[in-house]
Amino acid sequence: MTTRERIKAIQKMPKTMKEKREIRNKVLMEKTRKSVSYSTEIHCCTQCMYKIALSYRRFRNGLSELFQSLQLWQKTLKIIGGKFGTSVLSYFVFLTWLLTFNIFSFLVNFSFITIPQFIAAGSNNLSFTGLELLTGAGYFQQTVLYYGFYTNSTITKIENSTSYDMQLAYIFTIGIYFVICFFSLVYSMAKSFRNNFVNPHTYSGNAGKLLCIWDFNITNEKAVRLKQKNLSTQIKEALSEGKSEDLNLSLKQRMVHIAIHLAAWIFSLGTTAVCCTCVYYLSINNLKLFMKGDGTELENQAATLVLPIVVSLLNLLTPFIFSLLELLEKFQYPRNQIYVTITRNVILKMSIIGILCYYWLNIVAISATECWETLVGQDIYRLVVVDFLFCLLGSFFGEFVRRIIGTKCLKNLGVPEFDIARNVLGLIYVQTLTWIGIFFSPLLPAIQMIFFFIIFYVKKVSLMMNCQPPRKVWRASQMTTLFIFLLFFPSFTGVLSVVAITIWRLNPSEKCGPFRGLSSIFDAVSRWIDVLTNYPRSAWVVWIYHNLIESVHFFFILTVIIIIITYLYWQIIEGRKIMVRLLHEQIINEGKDKMFLLEKLRALQTSTRDTPARKGASQQFSTTSSLYQPPGQLDQQRHLSMPNYLERPLEKNKSTFSATPPYTADFPERSGFLPGDPQRQHPSTKPGVSEALALAMRARQQAEREMEDEDEEDFRS
Amino acid sequence: MGNKQTIFTPEQLDAYQDCTFFTRKEILRLFYRYRDLAPQLVPLDYSDKPDVMLPYELISSMPELKDNPFRQRIAEVFSEDGEGNMTLDDFLDMFSVLSEMAPRDLKAYYAFKIYDFNNDDYICKSDLEKTVNKLTRHELTPEEVSLVCEKVIEEADLDNDGKLSLEDFQHMIVRAPDFLSTFHIRI
Repeated sequence: MTTRERIKAIQKMPKTMKEKREIRNKVLMEKTRKSVSYSTEIHCCTQCMYKIALSYRRFRNGLSELFQSLQLWQKTLKIIGGKFGTSVLSYFVFLTWLLTFNIFSFLVNFSFITIPQFIAAGSNNLSFTGLELLTGAGYFQQTVLYYGFYTNSTITKIENSTSYDMQLAYIFTIGIYFVICFFSLVYSMAKSFRNNFVNPHTYSGNAGKLLCIWDFNITNEKAVRLKQKNLSTQIKEALSEGKSEDLNLSLKQRMVHIAIHLAAWIFSLGTTAVCCTCVYYLSINNLKLFMKGDGTELENQAATLVLPIVVSLLNLLTPFIFSLLELLEKFQYPRNQIYVTITRNVILKMSIIGILCYYWLNIVAISATECWETLVGQDIYRLVVVDFLFCLLGSFFGEFVRRIIGTKCLKNLGVPEFDIARNVLGLIYVQTLTWIGIFFSPLLPAIQMIFFFIIFYVKKVSLMMNCQPPRKVWRASQMTTLFIFLLFFPSFTGVLSVVAITIWRLNPSEKCGPFRGLSSIFDAVSRWIDVLTNYPRSAWVVWIYHNLIESVHFFFILTVIIIIITYLYWQIIEGRKIMVRLLHEQIINEGKDKMFLLEKLRALQTSTRDTPARKGASQQFSTTSSLYQPPGQLDQQRHLSMPNYLERPLEKNKSTFSATPPYTADFPERSGFLPGDPQRQHPSTKPGVSEALALAMRARQQAEREMEDEDEEDFRS
Repeated sequence: MGNKQTIFTPEQLDAYQDCTFFTRKEILRLFYRYRDLAPQLVPLDYSDKPDVMLPYELISSMPELKDNPFRQRIAEVFSEDGEGNMTLDDFLDMFSVLSEMAPRDLKAYYAFKIYDFNNDDYICKSDLEKTVNKLTRHELTPEEVSLVCEKVIEEADLDNDGKLSLEDFQHMIVRAPDFLSTFHIRI
């Protein structure tokens, strides 16, 4: 084993620290003994490798320590988790994670694009009024904030030294950033799926999760008591639900349900469509006003703010309409309700962004404005700023005012809970806008970074002051997986398509930006490749470009290979599922065999002792043959007082029950039972053994019959 | 690395690093937390491996544990003497298993031991009843508690012996992906 594997194996051992240390020391001694006994030649090699491995390990440890010291807000996260549990904590962890994307983008853009621009900067003739912070226009138009300000020249600081091609820098910086984001998102998504994804087919019943339900993160006394109260309420509800059978809805009721669901979906999709058309016509109007340019400067700038305000209002209010809809729809499982809510909200937000992108790419880009990229950048800036302000307002009204209302005026409303889904979707929306805006406004991630910082603290304070811990079960891991997936698709993939269209299809403006004068932005790369063909040493770059990036065949073959591999993996998974099911059945069968054999042996032992038969006990014992009970008189009392539970296995094991009379008929003298010692050999067990085997065979058949019954139940539920 | 600490020898620190999921800094930070519980009992020099054991009352007074309904079982499971009195080794071991980096199987093993009140390697019905009572602060009636426990055994007991073995428990954990994030104490 390599050193790393060895360390991992030791760490994973469920033994005390002393034992682990002894094992580790023993292994180390073995290794040094072995390495000493080798010849010197091999010793040198392994010594080199060992040194390299050691220094690499030290480097990794140092790096991980550095990352940990950089991790922001560890104490704050601990306090939040302690008071509200893992579910609310997942929102803040998500926020921190998105923040790292923005910090990384800012660092990359600032160092590779903005700093060179400062060196070759033009002058800024416009005056600064305070309104720019809100509208992004005016003074900011001629700063590094927007695409339009960047030069298309190659920058040389000192004569005859290497030059810095701004065009290539712009494309490559942003391109490489998106590639890194892509891989990072795919990795997070895959890791999350692997750890947290539960096959819905194996989901059967809640009771078994009782042992996994306690949240050890909660450290606040009040929160612990609240959680305990919630748990007892949940258990009581589950017990009362369990007593009443599953809703067997009549056909008519089911049709009514489906009709209500369908109507709700049509209504929500219709609302989304109305919002989108609203946004579209408003934005076209906006452009017309901007092109005409009447009115004072102030009026013009104020008019530009109408679109973002309308968009943010729609984003804030329409989810409330959706939640009112859900009060009418009655979902059978709360899980479905959450998924439906999230789906509707995601459709709404992504449609609005989609319409805006269509407007920007198809209408603004072809319009006769001087610098359309800067216009788009300003639009996105305004959207981001106004959304931030509305987020603060929403927090104020949604939580603070609601708490005042809930505690002072309408006392039965109570203190609000922190709405995790709505807040996370808001974060995804804003991050999508930021990613789209990176191309048109390279410093937008810096602004978003500041906003995320402020939002973190505002939400934290609002949470501590105004909210109570969540009452319902919120499956934090599955929800986090879902949110990471939503961040990747449709959010990030949408961003990639928008940027791809911008780079490949659209004409950059003539008079501004680093790509002025080119027919498409990607031309810069083609021109660079053409320049490179003159240098024989870079022939491999040219080869890669012509044969891998530009050729269609390569991508086609790659796609086919990936599809084949995906299909193979899918088939392997299906095979493994079948295997798991078979093994599961085998375990159940083994257990039942064991049970029957044990009973049989016990019965044989007691029958040869001639103890007086306790007929009553034996009757009850035969009816609960599938349950092992500890010996003692408590059982009888429990049987008498627990009719409910007895009925349940009777229904489930109807086949066993019908099979037991012949079993008891064979052994009428069987009485209570002793804590039987199955290893005690008895002379009468010899003839009994073959019968026991026959019983085992019967038990297996019954178990198979039971598996069929269980399958039917699974399909029904 | 420029470590000027004099509490542990470098070999000891390496051993701790290899046996737990913590880095050097975290191990030192945890040592200071351990020491803060009883500064007069815990020496600042561990290089001669002193035999110091903090009583259960001090451990259970830590803010991370003091309101946890299972704190006594946690301390008992990880302590050497089984009574809850912990040495530094036990302390580090406990927080290592309860940290983010510990794998699911390790956590499942220790969670099983925590819920196994009578230490017989099986979670039987009485263990479950005690667990449910701790989870709900004795708010359920005994009949309800019994019913719940029977339901749990019914659902989770795969080999039908009326009690949960470690394999049953691990099988249950697979269906509860939240376990990794809830069986976690930040320190």
